[in-house]
Amino acid sequence: MNNLSIIETILRDRKTFFLEIREGKGLAHKMRAMLISSAAFFALYGAVMGSSHSLWQALGSAAKLPLLFLATLIVCAPTLYFFNLNFGSNQSLSQNVALMLTTITVTSVLLLSFAPVVTFFLLTTSHYQFFKLLNVGVFAISGLVGVTFLSHGMQVVSYGGSERVAARRTVVWLWIVLYAFVGSQMAWTLRPFVGAPGLPFELFRQLGGNFYANILASFGEILGFVTVR
Amino acid sequence: MNDERQDRWEQLLDLLAEGVAERLRSEPRSGDAFRRIPRPADEVTPPLEAEPTRFTAPESTAQREDKIEDEPTVKPEPSEPESEPIVEPSLPAPPAHTARLLGRMALGLLALVIVINIPINRHGTTLATAMPDRRALVIRDGLVVKEDDGPEIYVYDDGAFRWISSLKAFEMRGYTWKDVHVVEDGFLEDYEIGPPIHVILKCPDSPHIYRVEGEEKRWIVDIEAFEAEGYVWEDVRIVSCALLRQLPDGETIPPGQGPPPRP
Repeated sequence: MNNLSIIETILRDRKTFFLEIREGKGLAHKMRAMLISSAAFFALYGAVMGSSHSLWQALGSAAKLPLLFLATLIVCAPTLYFFNLNFGSNQSLSQNVALMLTTITVTSVLLLSFAPVVTFFLLTTSHYQFFKLLNVGVFAISGLVGVTFLSHGMQVVSYGGSERVAARRTVVWLWIVLYAFVGSQMAWTLRPFVGAPGLPFELFRQLGGNFYANILASFGEILGFVTVR
Repeated sequence: MNDERQDRWEQLLDLLAEGVAERLRSEPRSGDAFRRIPRPADEVTPPLEAEPTRFTAPESTAQREDKIEDEPTVKPEPSEPESEPIVEPSLPAPPAHTARLLGRMALGLLALVIVINIPINRHGTTLATAMPDRRALVIRDGLVVKEDDGPEIYVYDDGAFRWISSLKAFEMRGYTWKDVHVVEDGFLEDYEIGPPIHVILKCPDSPHIYRVEGEEKRWIVDIEAFEAEGYVWEDVRIVSCALLRQLPDGETIPPGQGPPPRP
């Protein structure tokens, strides 16, 4: 429960939370608490997603979803840090990682809040493509709110010349685009998370195709234009 | 007598006003001073508030005027303590329900995930997978389906659904009932139907080869017929002669070649 209380601080008193990150207060504790709570929430949401296929898929997705976000963070953290450094930031890597973990934690909380809705559709519909797109939509909304927190956090944490602040703000939004691209490709690499009906359980599917083509094809099938084979 | 009494009274008031002014000056913020003055001191202020009428009297000296100038800063202050608590920044923290709610929600969700993944029948169907499969299927090689009202089982293979002609063929391909997705009638009408999948059997003590269709075995009369059906030697499975003999005879391949030999 102690780890969860940090979420309350983020959601209710984010300015104080970001100021503490700026001052480097309790960074290690904050990062550990965010890591634990977000991993737990991602695992739960992953289990819900995978339940549409089988118990093994539920367990596999519960393990893979925290891994997805953690791996994305590891891949993207140096970019944010060094670009910020280049534009006059005086934040440490730990502060950058703490901000990114805030993003991920907010995303995980929102995913958890969406979990009952997704479970409802899981139990009452059986259209695989619809369920897949529903999850993509939920991830998009949660991720967007999460990165908005990052943007806000960066404004509070960073300080310096005004022209540099503007440049860093642009860097943050460019980084968010990069984060989305890396995240989607990481998700494609670690798929399946839902598990296609008719196929046996597989922890990882063979590489090939890409996330965006598959989403377009899923839309096409829902609208009756194509059949995804 | 009256003049003396009035002078004393004025001196007393001057002393009192000086004392109050001194005290106010010594405080960093006059508003704070008023807030911090304990109740008994507040009781002293009413005469002070009443005083301005006396300080504006015509006999006021320069010293008195100074005190009067101080008055406006003193006068509006007493009203501050009434409005100050409204904008007090140190509000008590809101009750911490979110962490507890999140914890309970996570536990509830975990319980729900477990419940919907518990098998509810002998085929291993769970609540999460209990919905009909028709619109949920992804058509890929190896997909096994059966229409709701028909006994035939089909497998999707190389762009077409192929009928698995016998239980033996079904088993020999390694399928189990859990692999079969029951679909609505008419589902297969949207897809190409490929050649059926048969199992070709032979027993060690007999040179004859048979094709199993449904519950029957059909004798393939010669090598030309065997090749004409598109089979190769690798398609032939060796089973016990007792098993082959149990199967009833069907029409020969090609048809009309007389009664089949005993395996």
